[in-house]
Amino acid sequence: MNKKEILKLAKGFRGRAKNCIRIARERVEKALQYSYRDRRNKKRDMRSLWIQSINAGTRQHGVNYGNFMHGLMKENIQLNRKVLSEISMHEPYSFKALVDISRNAFPGNKNVVLPTRKADVSINV
Amino acid sequence: MASSATFSTLVLSSSFATQCNVSNRHHQSCFLSSPPKIPIFSIPKPVSLKLTSLLSKTPTFFTIPKSSESDAAVVDVEPDNVEPEPEPEAAPEPEPEPASVVEASKEEPKREEIFAVVMIGGRQYIVFPGRYLYTQRLKGANVNDKIVLNKVLLVGTKTTTYIGKPVVTNAAVHAVVEEQGLNPKVVVFKYKKKKNYRRNIGHRQPNTRIRITGITGYQDYPAVTLES
Repeated sequence: MNKKEILKLAKGFRGRAKNCIRIARERVEKALQYSYRDRRNKKRDMRSLWIQSINAGTRQHGVNYGNFMHGLMKENIQLNRKVLSEISMHEPYSFKALVDISRNAFPGNKNVVLPTRKADVSINV
Repeated sequence: MASSATFSTLVLSSSFATQCNVSNRHHQSCFLSSPPKIPIFSIPKPVSLKLTSLLSKTPTFFTIPKSSESDAAVVDVEPDNVEPEPEPEAAPEPEPEPASVVEASKEEPKREEIFAVVMIGGRQYIVFPGRYLYTQRLKGANVNDKIVLNKVLLVGTKTTTYIGKPVVTNAAVHAVVEEQGLNPKVVVFKYKKKKNYRRNIGHRQPNTRIRITGITGYQDYPAVTLES
């Protein structure tokens, strides 16, 4: 890459790394290596985030993530975690239907303690 | 429960309005988030949506017709007297503006409130009629081809959900191929330190943009219905 391209990629860098070619070249190479590595890491991170959000959604209905996924696998429902997390955020009634199906297929949770909703507690404005 | 039904339609319209502003693609029908959204759905919403619809890529639906629908809901549900008054005034005002936008707004009442989860190219997408999405390149599909997607894993409407095990039988999502293009370039830079190894490769993944026209064929499948 020639100097112009490197300095274009170095926009927003700190100090001399955005202006001076010798320093910018090193920093840009490092940045490109990080982006290569992080394109792979992003997939892992997103999956972890989806699992956390599915876990939160199912625990509101008294089922934890592990039992929920086991129930779905038993029922041969092949929705992936990305879609399940989107549904748990935006389609609460559909998600509740999924949780019920999973609970019927695999009733794993005993001693269920449903969390109280803070929205139910009235606040004096 | 009738009040909650109107409440949910209000939430639907208000949250669709906010999502349209962001040009996002999510179906917001969350009951839990309703209280903070109602005050936001006030005077400037219909006018600003009219103007941004010229600029945004996806067709922004739910601008004028939705506001008229929400007028009825607002009058029924909300004791707030401020909201219904400005909205009927704001609604007729933008209509004399550019004709292209008026045509887009007239199509909106035909939009059904339904979504589906479809599997294309090994990936699953949540899909709404009228919106577009980018998928892996579909070989052998030319521009303006009608496409039927058969792997429909879930269909949801306002009141019922059809959960496929694994597929909703006979359900089909109809789409039109809009464009066969390339993703933005990613630079693949491989480097090993102290070994004088550097490879700089640019990569553009081919993609296909398809616009979803309709979702059919799910009616006979056993469904989970909302009791309200």
